[in-house]
Amino acid sequence: MTRLNLILLVAVITSAMYLVHTQYASRRLFQDLEHATTDAHKLAVENDGLEVQRRSKATPLRIEKLAKMQLQMRTANPAITQYVTYSESK
Amino acid sequence: MTRSLQYTSSPLLASRTPVWRSKFIVAAVAIGFFGLAARAAYIQVIGNAFFQRQGEVRFTRTLALPANRGRIFDRNGLVLASSVPAPSIWAIPEDVERDKPKLQQLAKALDMPLADLTKKLEDDDKTFVWLKRQVDDTVAKQIAALGLKGVYARNEYKREYPEGEAMAHVVGFTNVEDKGQEGVELTFNKELAGKAGSRRVIKDRFGRVVEDVGEQVPPVDGKDLTLSVDSKIQFFAYQKLRDAVISNKAKAGSVVVLDALSGEVLAVANYPSYVPDKRKNLTGEQLRNRALTDTFEPGSTMKPFTIGLALDTGRVTPQTVIQTAPGSVTITGSTIHDSHAHGPLTVEQVIQVSSNVGTTKIAMQMPAREMWETFSQAGFGQKPQISFPGAVSGRLRPYKTWRPIEQATMSYGYGLSASLFQMARSYTVFSHDGQIIPTTLLKRDEPAVGTQVFSPKTAAAVRKMLQMAAGPGGTGPLAQTVGYSVGGKSGTAHKQVGKGYATNKYRSWFTGMAPIDKPRIIVAVMVDEPSAGQYFGGIVAAPVFSEVVQQSLRMMGVTPDMDVKPQTVVKAVEESF
Repeated sequence: MTRLNLILLVAVITSAMYLVHTQYASRRLFQDLEHATTDAHKLAVENDGLEVQRRSKATPLRIEKLAKMQLQMRTANPAITQYVTYSESK
Repeated sequence: MTRSLQYTSSPLLASRTPVWRSKFIVAAVAIGFFGLAARAAYIQVIGNAFFQRQGEVRFTRTLALPANRGRIFDRNGLVLASSVPAPSIWAIPEDVERDKPKLQQLAKALDMPLADLTKKLEDDDKTFVWLKRQVDDTVAKQIAALGLKGVYARNEYKREYPEGEAMAHVVGFTNVEDKGQEGVELTFNKELAGKAGSRRVIKDRFGRVVEDVGEQVPPVDGKDLTLSVDSKIQFFAYQKLRDAVISNKAKAGSVVVLDALSGEVLAVANYPSYVPDKRKNLTGEQLRNRALTDTFEPGSTMKPFTIGLALDTGRVTPQTVIQTAPGSVTITGSTIHDSHAHGPLTVEQVIQVSSNVGTTKIAMQMPAREMWETFSQAGFGQKPQISFPGAVSGRLRPYKTWRPIEQATMSYGYGLSASLFQMARSYTVFSHDGQIIPTTLLKRDEPAVGTQVFSPKTAAAVRKMLQMAAGPGGTGPLAQTVGYSVGGKSGTAHKQVGKGYATNKYRSWFTGMAPIDKPRIIVAVMVDEPSAGQYFGGIVAAPVFSEVVQQSLRMMGVTPDMDVKPQTVVKAVEESF
């Protein structure tokens, strides 16, 4: 009887220690997940910001200015455009 | 020899312990246990809720989960508005260390004079003061690097508008609290804003989240909006308008571009405009979305509706001859003039040369009720079905109150008022085979279903007249483009000042469509108070129409329907107004 009690006591203590360990591990993992989620959010926000920056570098107003000033280009009109017809048959 | 000690027989141990002592100890221990049991029962059963709460207060926190404001895109998926991080810098004045070089650096980073900064930090009683809201991320990093005690940053977001002033009136802007104040940002604020969520968590002593407790309310991000506006067309409309307003020394101007098939708004541009990100010293003049909020007497651009009604009811045909000599007509004592006498004109020519007398003579054959019904059906006097702040309905008085002279002036666009947007929409009657179609600011995939106002035959006949008006011998030949056939009507009106008309202040406009046989777009242009010598709609507004049509159709990939050789432009006929 005493032996059984001792075995049970050891089992209870082991289980309790394991529970503490599992709790600890789960909190560590949860923290990592939190970090990852925060990073993902940060990256998404950064991505949005960069997209806006890219767009503001490529607005028609800016492109037109650069094309005219730096590349001496002019706006196309039908008088200087050649229209080609496309036919499906080979 | 060893001596053995008989403990049991020690006289010291021989005395017996009194029984009451052991009983006392047992009783004391028992009372102790009872005490513990009672306390345990109190904590776990009776006062459980209190202790549970107190425990939670000490280690759980509620975190707010802010929702992201939705983005706004143009019809091709290009970003028009998006939120970017913009930390706000705040301080606890009492805690801020008075280190002058560091404060100087802080002031420099915040782009404000040191005196202003010290003034903000003067009030020691305050526990919180904003130093600057919504600064750039890099500025916030610089400030953090200074390591100044008592100065903190709070995460906030601000809206960025890459298209700047060209798109300002359409997109609008939000305030520092991220609430829409103007334009689409205001109209669709509810959809864009989303709903913040929250979560309860357990934090460890380092402030790290280690566990979720209880229910989580996930944030609902705002919806992304895709507008019908094309940022390239919008840009061209803005650019051409701006150039025209500047070169004509005008006060302001607006352009509206509509898709003639779907009723989608492709562009709404106004000048003067503003940069949505820099709103210091903003004036009402810059802020007004004139195309929708300002009404004016449409003048000659109304004539096609009067003529359309007469054609539709079979009272005239395009070839019916109307005698407009001697260039004036008197109705109940008031005389209506043409700019000069034209003699006999066909109905087509009445529109082509924009004769007031011809239009009046046709209008006087019709009952006021019919004219009122047609004008109403074409959207005059009614709020446009577009969700936009400040869109006005204009004015169209009930026909019962019309006097004969008023019926006459209304036939050529005086005595009623409309916004430029209403004008543009009303012309869908001619472009869409006699149907007026609903307009939308949001991208629409299915074709628009309209309400029949005129028969398709009448619409085609009026289109032909509009083409003549924008051609040689018409009032708006400057509206012509290279490669695309156009049709439209110019308008010029004295501006109303107080109760009368100013003799030297004009409004010039042009409303038309292209290509004329199967219109793809409707463009309406208005220039307010041109004062560089020219003021006729056909000369001031028509060139803007021409350039906007040219660029828009090219951008939409519409194949030219005319020879693409450059055309010579003939001198415009002076219109009557």
